[in-house]
Amino acid sequence: MTNKTLVVADAGVLIHLDELGALDVLRNYEAVFVPNAVWVEVLHHRPQALKNDSIALIHVSDVSYSPKVTAMARLFTLHSGEYEALNVCLDQEIDTLLTDDTAARLAANNLNIKVHGTLGLLIRAVRCDLRSPDNILQLLADIPKKTTLHIRPQLLISVIEQVKQEWLNNK
Amino acid sequence: MNNIIQAEIPEQLCQQAELLIQQGWASNLQEIINDALRRYLESHQELLTEAFIQEDVEWGLRGND
Repeated sequence: MTNKTLVVADAGVLIHLDELGALDVLRNYEAVFVPNAVWVEVLHHRPQALKNDSIALIHVSDVSYSPKVTAMARLFTLHSGEYEALNVCLDQEIDTLLTDDTAARLAANNLNIKVHGTLGLLIRAVRCDLRSPDNILQLLADIPKKTTLHIRPQLLISVIEQVKQEWLNNK
Repeated sequence: MNNIIQAEIPEQLCQQAELLIQQGWASNLQEIINDALRRYLESHQELLTEAFIQEDVEWGLRGND
């Protein structure tokens, strides 16, 4: 059995959302679990992300390791943060991982863990009435200049066009 | 043709790699670095990354969680 309102976060998503000033898009999750290796990584690169009062971050300092995740980590050459995040998902029976890393997504898929990234979370914020469509369109456009998230410029333009059309049609 | 690349590698990673070589799991450091790079590139293919982003956008727009 899993709790749908809990999620586990990898460093990238926390850093990228904070770079955009948009960590609050996570505020309707009951809690965001942050494994120790991820905590240390965010503390090093973006310490202010861990001080955001709008979201319930839970620092998981004691991580239990699963042989299944260890095998996946080796197969997909995962970093320690991604490795610990997947272990926390299995250990705490949390079915959603927040990450922007392709290899971590592949590994999570193999473990039947759902994965969402920065773009999906920003767009979801409109669906959940946390942010306005105009605001999210601006944040998406700001990704290349304000964040360390790498995305092919043409793909980002096509995503922005797609969501703009979708929201216009739904007005 | 092979390219020569100069890179700084953390001491701990080097020690772990050396241990693998000593234990006979790899012939030399070159083999380990090639294998690590190949695996990274295999798991970070552009098409795969783009497919994941598209899935994420769909979820953002129409998901139920």
